Amino acid sequence: MRRPLEIKAEEASVRSVVSLTSALETLSSMQIAKTKNKVLISNQFFDEVWGIYKQIRVDVLFNFGRQVDEKLVNKELLILITAKGGLSGDIDQRLIRKFLERYDETKNEVLVIGYHGALKLKQSHVDYEYYFDLPEGDYINVDPLMDIIRKYAQSRIFYQNYISLSQQEIKDVDLSEAVSSKGRVADMDTVGDNLVSEKNYIFEPNSYAVAAYLENSILRLTISQFIYDSRLAQVASRFKAMSAAKERSIDTATQLHTEYNRSKRSQVDTRLKESLAGLKKIRAEGAA
Amino acid sequence: MADETPTAPADSSQTVPQSGGKPTMAVKVYAPFQVYFEGDAYSVSAVNETGPFDILPRHHNFLCMLVPCSLVVKPVDGSQKTIKIHRALMHVKADRVVVFVDV
Repeated sequence: MRRPLEIKAEEASVRSVVSLTSALETLSSMQIAKTKNKVLISNQFFDEVWGIYKQIRVDVLFNFGRQVDEKLVNKELLILITAKGGLSGDIDQRLIRKFLERYDETKNEVLVIGYHGALKLKQSHVDYEYYFDLPEGDYINVDPLMDIIRKYAQSRIFYQNYISLSQQEIKDVDLSEAVSSKGRVADMDTVGDNLVSEKNYIFEPNSYAVAAYLENSILRLTISQFIYDSRLAQVASRFKAMSAAKERSIDTATQLHTEYNRSKRSQVDTRLKESLAGLKKIRAEGAA
Repeated sequence: MADETPTAPADSSQTVPQSGGKPTMAVKVYAPFQVYFEGDAYSVSAVNETGPFDILPRHHNFLCMLVPCSLVVKPVDGSQKTIKIHRALMHVKADRVVVFVDV
């Protein structure tokens, strides 16, 4: 059995892990509330812009606001949105696993957002063509990302989706399809008077320019929404990981405390036995 | 320019909200995480590719992109609100003006 002092020292270090994970758990919980609130506020904005886009769009195909004669890279660009660092649970690992199921070096090029994802890709021996840090502020400038996306014939985005505090899922969608399906009007009859056309609207400078601008805006908003969703899922995953780590460290500390008590009792028992044995020996010598 | 276009589409039975005897319109200027202005106003002035323009109550349905400019809202309280715009989309319909900033 280990010595009590040794166990006590280990227990103290585990207790500091409990404090640390507890602080990180509280921090994640605050971040979730803040991020969730922001996502809710931004959703109203996004919904209203989507509403206008739905009424103005004339075809189902979304062409990323490209020029007709633009030459495209005939590969699929895979975009990964990952966390900026570790301590985000297994969510990035799950995303990389899903990405690897689809990745084919000859058919794909990779764009990764977030340092943690870049690190995981290197560990999986995957070379990426583009890298961006995960934006932290409210305003996300996705223009550099859009310039790259427009060069490719197809792009697929892998992101993390927040379902609940305990559940986050990994999703991958074709960007063009995501925009088309979201912007598709389920029933044209329901649009009715809301249809935005040259008959009932004034466009400046003209309807084509406004439609092209809206297409760019929609792409910008879609990418931003994926990033906001991923950030929320990441903090939720971090909260989950920290809660689990805290629970585990509390269990370990409790076990160590029990072990410490046992060890101390055993040490006292040994000393008592030794004293009794010594006493017996003295008595025996006295009697002789 | 927008203010040179004919105002008030066909439906003359439509009631225009008023404040102090002057017609007003509902105005909202906002970005995904920030509302710059929300309330009733007499006019909104901005600049698009065609040039500077004003939106007044009973304006025709209107959709345009704004160029970097100072958007001026004249609320019903008599003050004047100026908002710097880098990139925005303006939508006007039925006396409701919405400016989507940073889209």
